[in-house]
Amino acid sequence: MSSRAAPKRTPQVSVRKIEPDFCEFVLSDTDPSVANALRRVMLSEVPTLAIDLVEIEVNTTVLNDEFIAHRLGLIPLVSQRVWDFTGAYDTNDDDENALMDIVFQMDVKCTGDDTLDVTSNDLQLDPSFPDIHPVAYSTGPQDAQAEKGVLLVKLRKGQHLKLKAIARKGIGKDHAKWQPVATVAFQYMPDIRINHALMDTLSEEQKLQWIQSSPNPVFRLNPVTAQVEVVDAEAYRYDGEVIAKAKALGKEGLVNITPRQDMFIFRVEGTGAMATQQIVVAAIDVLLRKLDTLQQSLASADAAMDMDGL
Amino acid sequence: MGAEPPAEDQDTKMEDAAKMLASDPSKLTQPIKELKDKYELLPAFLQVRGLVKQHIDSFNYFITKEIKKILHAKGNEQITCDVDPSFYLRYLDIHVGTPCVEEDFQEKKITPQQCRLRDMTYAAPIHVDIEYTRGKEILQKKGEGKAVLIGRMPIMLRCDRCVLKGQSEARLAKLGECPLDPGGYFVVKGTEKVILINEQLSKNRIIIDKDSKDQFAASVTSSTTERKSKTNLVMKKGCLSLRHNAFADDVNIVAVMKAMGIESDQEIIQLVGQDQTYASLLTPTLEECRNLQLYTQQHALDWLGSKVKSNPRGFEGPRKQSKADEARNILANVIVCHVEVDRYNFTQKVVFIAVMMRRLLNAVMDESLIDDRDYYGNKRLELAGGQLSLLFEDLFKRLNTDLKRQAEKQLVKANRVAQFDISKCIRTDTITYGMEHAINTGQWKINRFRMDKKGATQVLSRLSFIAAMGMMTKITSQFEKTRKVSGPRALQPSQWGMLCPADTPEGESCGLMKNLALMTHVTTDEEEGPLARLSFMLGVEPISSVNGAELHAEGTALVFLNGLVLGVHRRPLAFVSAVRRLRRAAMIGEFVSIHAQQESVNIATDGGRVCRPLIICDNGVPRVSNEHLAKVKSKEWRFVDFLRAGLIEWLDVNEENNSLIALYQTHTRPETTHLEIEPFTVLGVIAGLIPYPHHNQSPRNTYQCAMGKQAMGNIAFNQLARMDTLLYLLSYPQRPLLTTKTIELVGYDRLGAGQNATVAVMSYSGYDIEDAIVMNKASLDRGFGRCVVMRKYGTSIKKYANRTEDRVVRPSIAPGEKRPAGRMKLLGQDGMCSVGEVIQPGEVYINKQSPINTRDMVSNPHSLPDNAFKPTPMSWKGVAGQSCVVDRVLLTENDEGHRIFKVMVRHTRRPELGDKFSSRHGQKGVMGHIVPQDDMPFSEKGICPDLIMNPHGFPSRMTVGKMIELIGSKAAALSGKFHYGVAFGEPEGLADKVEDISATLVRHGFSYSGKDFITSGISGEPLEAYIFMGPVYYQKLKHMVLDKMHARARGPRVTLTRQPTEGRSRDGGLRLGEMERDCLIGYGASMLLLERLMISSDQFLVHVCKHCGLLGYLDANLGCAVCPSLKTGDQMTAMKLPYACKLLFQELQSMNIIPRLSLADM
Repeated sequence: MSSRAAPKRTPQVSVRKIEPDFCEFVLSDTDPSVANALRRVMLSEVPTLAIDLVEIEVNTTVLNDEFIAHRLGLIPLVSQRVWDFTGAYDTNDDDENALMDIVFQMDVKCTGDDTLDVTSNDLQLDPSFPDIHPVAYSTGPQDAQAEKGVLLVKLRKGQHLKLKAIARKGIGKDHAKWQPVATVAFQYMPDIRINHALMDTLSEEQKLQWIQSSPNPVFRLNPVTAQVEVVDAEAYRYDGEVIAKAKALGKEGLVNITPRQDMFIFRVEGTGAMATQQIVVAAIDVLLRKLDTLQQSLASADAAMDMDGL
Repeated sequence: MGAEPPAEDQDTKMEDAAKMLASDPSKLTQPIKELKDKYELLPAFLQVRGLVKQHIDSFNYFITKEIKKILHAKGNEQITCDVDPSFYLRYLDIHVGTPCVEEDFQEKKITPQQCRLRDMTYAAPIHVDIEYTRGKEILQKKGEGKAVLIGRMPIMLRCDRCVLKGQSEARLAKLGECPLDPGGYFVVKGTEKVILINEQLSKNRIIIDKDSKDQFAASVTSSTTERKSKTNLVMKKGCLSLRHNAFADDVNIVAVMKAMGIESDQEIIQLVGQDQTYASLLTPTLEECRNLQLYTQQHALDWLGSKVKSNPRGFEGPRKQSKADEARNILANVIVCHVEVDRYNFTQKVVFIAVMMRRLLNAVMDESLIDDRDYYGNKRLELAGGQLSLLFEDLFKRLNTDLKRQAEKQLVKANRVAQFDISKCIRTDTITYGMEHAINTGQWKINRFRMDKKGATQVLSRLSFIAAMGMMTKITSQFEKTRKVSGPRALQPSQWGMLCPADTPEGESCGLMKNLALMTHVTTDEEEGPLARLSFMLGVEPISSVNGAELHAEGTALVFLNGLVLGVHRRPLAFVSAVRRLRRAAMIGEFVSIHAQQESVNIATDGGRVCRPLIICDNGVPRVSNEHLAKVKSKEWRFVDFLRAGLIEWLDVNEENNSLIALYQTHTRPETTHLEIEPFTVLGVIAGLIPYPHHNQSPRNTYQCAMGKQAMGNIAFNQLARMDTLLYLLSYPQRPLLTTKTIELVGYDRLGAGQNATVAVMSYSGYDIEDAIVMNKASLDRGFGRCVVMRKYGTSIKKYANRTEDRVVRPSIAPGEKRPAGRMKLLGQDGMCSVGEVIQPGEVYINKQSPINTRDMVSNPHSLPDNAFKPTPMSWKGVAGQSCVVDRVLLTENDEGHRIFKVMVRHTRRPELGDKFSSRHGQKGVMGHIVPQDDMPFSEKGICPDLIMNPHGFPSRMTVGKMIELIGSKAAALSGKFHYGVAFGEPEGLADKVEDISATLVRHGFSYSGKDFITSGISGEPLEAYIFMGPVYYQKLKHMVLDKMHARARGPRVTLTRQPTEGRSRDGGLRLGEMERDCLIGYGASMLLLERLMISSDQFLVHVCKHCGLLGYLDANLGCAVCPSLKTGDQMTAMKLPYACKLLFQELQSMNIIPRLSLADM
């Protein structure tokens, strides 16, 4: 690892790709702690909605009540409006009007001879919150094209499932069902420096061999200049193969690769509960609020200490 | 097996090749094709056989053939009466019907599932056709409807008589049965019972041994249906003598020979052997006999008569026969009793004993000829059918003696009112209850052999699917567990392919409890007669036409059939190959085994031999070709077709020992006689679940075999319809990413017991030392390791002698309330708890009431007033804090009309600290820490482990198989194809090679080594090492903290000693034992000792008389403690001592010992 330079205080974000369920951006001019904090917050502290309480009225399916309740909980709900709600555990003020519960109903009975799939599409939405629904939600006739929804249980003739499911706001720290992301990870941008002087001592065949030794296409041989150049630094997975190869060729120090401490490639994969850019923004928001709280409590602690005459 | 032939053989090999070329030139141009997908034979094999065919075959044999033999056996077939000589009852035939139950005087068909739920026995009626006399008439009762019922036979599931036999999956589902269930067990009173396979030394064979005193001995355990006896021939001080229970002493063998009619010494020597050496070795024995002055048969018989052990029973009245006759009878019927003697013609027996002598003398000359008792060819396995037939014959004999006694009792009366009809006297209980009781308790009591075996049956373990499968292949040995001999426990080379080398328990029964390998079959008895005739036709000269000198002539061999001397053959090898050809042509039984050994040819048709199928090779070329295999694939051919076509044959251990078997096709050479079907079949069902077991250290596979049976998963497809006492289920069981062929064959891929967890091999947090594992909290949230534990509670309605019975009533409901309150709140209108309710400790689940008076007769037993009942409710004794739910309630009635209530209570558990997990490589560990996902390390792809395992688990365990499983699973997950890790499968392409797996990994952008570049979740900094990470199939074992944790402050005490109770189930105290006490004494913490051992335990205040040192008592009149001898309270003083101490004093007093306490001030 390279020696730490002076910390950079003006982080930059450059977005590379934004899709509803995926986004990739480069966070630069900051240090790993900030990057990691952002990742951790995205994973466990961005609030979403998820079914938290299930009241089962009739259940004659093959799966038991707890089983179905657990499955219901893991359905991602579209949580764009999560900010309007209050979590069950953070009602610090007795706000009568705080929005807490979204009540879904479900009543499915199999009457045909074929197995009937009960999916998240069978949840009836809360009339007061028509915009809060499971991901890939569709009602009406199920055709092959339509999204099938999340499978909960399969019914045979005569089996009946009737329940009330209450969704609430929560964070991933409490339960994984409130995680807004499927995965979030960052990667250190590699800093690849080829020792061209040493490289030139290699024959073309050796160069090719050396390039081939990398499992991912990082380098290429420029056919015009016959020089080895970096095509895609990010493709480098820190596998050390090229370094080992260089050693095997007897050319230690052929290339020097270090992870850059100030540049991170973030990849966020959403569950569908929120758009990925929203997750990132929300995470930054949460992080800022945390800092705010810290700042305030430090200030008040200082004030308290001043009062004590310390 | 596959070693290269030595160099000097090369020349002969060339010659052979040249010869082959001359005979068939096309052979040279046609290269030997490698057989592809040889394993395809296995599904075909298992399809016809199933995994427990040996059990089912043996039971089928018993109920169709053996039972008829028993019926017609001498002494069983006819009952006569000493009183009336014209009376008789003769059994003509016997049939075992299909399972049914008699209910309301109607026969109803039953299914196994009904029996399980209703606590009934899955049994079928046994009918006999009889002919008997009634007065002067001779009557017959036979055929449908008329045959007489003599009892009920418990029916093995999936046998010929079972309703499940040959049913389709859909039909099985209708019957409530799991299609993957192997059958082969019994349902007795609602519990599933397995009759374990029993291993014994083979009967009727000569075994040469060296006993503890270093004496040579030849022993034979003879066994007929009537009698079992053991005959020994020992070499003592150069003298051969016979040792048998019937004789008080060892008797000279020459004397015995003479008693059997061989009077000339020359003839004796000739029978043993022509060679000079035999004569010289026999000289001392002959001399001894001469010294005893025994020259004629009569001399010898008289002398032997004097040696006969006096009859211990002694009450048989005056001896009917002379001593010599007695000796002759013993020689004819007791000594080596399996060799039949017809009208005192001893020829067969003489030859048999001569052979025993010869083999003993051979061993004396050459110690390498001593037999190995542990050699598996000398073992026989007794299966359910065989054990049941012993039991049945015993019960049948008992039934017959009962009948005889009844007949005598009735016929002795001169003036009878009605004519005596014996067919009306047959009691069915003897056999029905006898069989049921034996299977239920495992007590196998067979009077005629004076045998009383315990633990012959076991409850089928339904802990997991695999545990049930494993139980069906389990073999117990007769060897005592306490003996410290290593021989019987060691893995015998002859067990190769027959018994699983890995699957045996640890500890006391290690190596004694074995398991069958995948393809093993156990034979059933086969008729000897036709085979004997066939042998004579093939040139065996019967003994009766051979004189002693010809018996052992050079180049000839004695032919044995099931241990009996059949005759002599001059060209034994030709004979052996002729019999083999006939077997391959399916002219004789497929399980007939023949092998040439030293100077004898042994043919075996007896039951209990283990055998396995092998591909036949000619000149090293396997007979099975790719065309044949194609036919299997297209389902055109079945396994039997291969047997019929003579491509594959069954070999038992002895014949296997006579063959050269190639492990892989590449190892074949011209001498090769057979080719292994698949090498992985050496393992059993349970060891077959381990991927890459051949890369593991061997004990690890053994450990996994023990743990695989404790893994939670799915039990059977009908698991939720069953009412097991304890049921552990995994919420989300998975199919292993790295499978084996065995897994697919057994059905483990459909009833898995584990989950593919992403494992990172690294150290993390310190809570992973000593095999502990660290888990990802988010994974647990998402359902990893989540399980359901169900427990059965229940009761039955008792009926009392005065015709009253228990009742279940609806609870009283307070006025104005809708539901009953308090601990009755779960109950519905029917007095039973409602399904889906959360049950708390102390709450009633069945509101039962019992009549107060159960003795005196009551006029109206069914309309007793309410006050005649006392409440005896069934309340739930669970642990507080768990939210257990009533899962199912069953109300039913058994065949005796007793109502039964069964309640299943369910508890869903999420893994917690201390729960036990294990991979499939004997690597168990408890969960040491749960880490939030944000603290977990992650790769740049966002992959984050479910579970972290400490790398220290690898070096000492050497479970390389686990590492290969990890990378193989990783490749499987990336490529979307299940990978295989079949044992020894790499050369045949059944196991993915590490090289190929690495290539797959690289193709998907991962390191070939399975290691990933990982970033710490805590700091965000990359870890300094690459981390070996990928999916591994993890099993959750049944040991959970919730079932084990225990602590107590105050609690219940034992009434007798007033000390705290013992054990978790009784909320017992934690014992401060001797060693802890020693520590405290050593430390000098006397007050702590006093506090622990008395004050916190059973402190008791007593009054002691200072004068006489006795414990006083409270005198109610005086109002104070009084000394028992002085009768005053003057000298009394109070002191504290443990109640147990006071109890001891009183107990001593009750034995007239006075303990006196002498008191002094400190």
